[in-house]
Amino acid sequence: MNTAVNIENIEKEIKELKQKRTSQLFLTWLRFKRNRLSMVGLSFVLVIIFIAIFAPLLTPYDPYDTNPFRRLENPSREHLLGTDELGRDLLTRLLYGSRIALQVGILIVLFEGFIGITLGLLAGYLGRWVDEIIMRLVDILRSFPVIILAMAIAGIMGQGLYNVVIAIGLVGWTTYARMVRGKILSIKESEFVEAAFSIGESTPSVILRYILPNVLPTAVIMICIMMPTALIASATLSFLGVGVQPPLPCWGSIAAAGRDYITRAPWISTSAGFFIMFTVLGFNFIGDGLRDAFDPTSKRN
Amino acid sequence: MGKSGYVVRRLLRTIPIVIGVTLVTFLILHFTPGDPVRIMLGPYATQENIAILKEQYGLDHPLHIQYITWLGNILQGEFGTSIRYNRPVLELVQDRVGITLMLTLSGLFISVTLGSVLGIFAALRQNSWLDYLCTFQAMFWISIPGFWLAIIFLYIFGLQLRWVPIGGLTGFSSVILPALVIGLQEEAWFARPMRAEMLGVLNEGYISAARAKGVKYIRVVGIHALRNVMIPMITMLALRLPWVIAGSVVVEVVFAWGGMGSLLVNSVLARDFPVVQGILLIIAITVVLANLLADLVYSLIDPRIRVEGGKK
Repeated sequence: MNTAVNIENIEKEIKELKQKRTSQLFLTWLRFKRNRLSMVGLSFVLVIIFIAIFAPLLTPYDPYDTNPFRRLENPSREHLLGTDELGRDLLTRLLYGSRIALQVGILIVLFEGFIGITLGLLAGYLGRWVDEIIMRLVDILRSFPVIILAMAIAGIMGQGLYNVVIAIGLVGWTTYARMVRGKILSIKESEFVEAAFSIGESTPSVILRYILPNVLPTAVIMICIMMPTALIASATLSFLGVGVQPPLPCWGSIAAAGRDYITRAPWISTSAGFFIMFTVLGFNFIGDGLRDAFDPTSKRN
Repeated sequence: MGKSGYVVRRLLRTIPIVIGVTLVTFLILHFTPGDPVRIMLGPYATQENIAILKEQYGLDHPLHIQYITWLGNILQGEFGTSIRYNRPVLELVQDRVGITLMLTLSGLFISVTLGSVLGIFAALRQNSWLDYLCTFQAMFWISIPGFWLAIIFLYIFGLQLRWVPIGGLTGFSSVILPALVIGLQEEAWFARPMRAEMLGVLNEGYISAARAKGVKYIRVVGIHALRNVMIPMITMLALRLPWVIAGSVVVEVVFAWGGMGSLLVNSVLARDFPVVQGILLIIAITVVLANLLADLVYSLIDPRIRVEGGKK
């Protein structure tokens, strides 16, 4: 009778363990949810995504409709944030601006993430001269300030949305490469990889089944954490005039145009910057929460 | 013996990076869609001007010859001639580098001071509202683009309150705002290691021992803890330097100081590539040298690096 109870207990325990394993992602989500700041961040980002999707329904105006007779108007009931230097409704342009910002931001993190994660995997797994070359390249690129090198590349390639993505991506991938390489090095040394090799798993299967799944969370967090940098860098390039060009409604270039009218219409620059801050703050809160959720041991040590 | 070995190895490790930096700067020109000379000179260029510039860049030669010629010129201090100003690049930079350097250094000074103070307070009052406030405000500042913070400060303190002069560099008071913008944006990076290191040190046995001995709290924290925090702070300083330089470039443009930042941005917009390349190279080499200096400094202050260097 005693043994029967024991077996029952053990079975229960195994069941629980299995549940725990399958709900690892769920546990992470629970930890993430508990962090109030990251939930605030998530809601900020959801608001911006909502605006980006439903921009045409949120405003009766067209972001490209100029009106030479209604330039630089004060905020009114008709134009909640007034009009810009060409008589376009400012709020409309800012709302549509979320589309540009998110599009550019996502393209940048995907592009630089792709380069960085691939090179990081190669460097970490192959080691030796491949590692040496890739890491020297990282050292070299990190000697340049990201925004300045990206500005030079974008300026030389010519302005435009995709050139901004390429310029920032070509410079910004080094952070991913370093993180992924570090992660791979620690996984390569770990016991479960050694065990996998010792029971005769082939190299590709070890990479696919043991190493990649463990690198993936790092890569996903990296992409979220790098979003603020991508957004600020692209906005800065547009502000300086080498990024996304008018008449596309881009927050950075709207802020730049508003600078010339700062005494007459200070709300132009102010509100454009506010949209950038709101979005970046959202992603920063999320990134912080994600970091803690995936790696609870690192929290506030 | 061990130490000089470390220094030599560190110096040798710098060489490929410097070469790489020149290579990147050189290759950037070839990102142009089409003939770089025609793009630089615009649609109204005369055949003669095109020929001169092609000659200057050696664009008719294969790429590696071009690079070697270009590098040779750079090594002789020949950074080329600006197309827009028709003056040597180095001369243009020399006129303006002081402004950028001053802004970079004063920005770094504010960020390190502010970061250290906040980090120490946060550590001494760990997990209190003060600690959380420090973390939160840091996140707030880094979420704001530098150019926007500069515009807002200029509007509030310059135009509305009239506390500081606007428009250009006019004496000490005009430095405060731009330096503060950079200081606030970078402060978080110095507060974090300061807080972590202070927490680590405060829990060490020797701190309790010193306290038990009757040494005053301020003294314990001041002498014992701060010495330990030097290395992570120097590392961070070297790490953040490129970002601070980029920050000064942007902020300086907003404040219309006419420094290297404005020169760079205007040259990029005017496709004055010799100037762009010159400035890029100067900034990158500065960063490389700063990193080298940081490494050498901690080989002096940290005995562990010396020992490790000696063993190898």
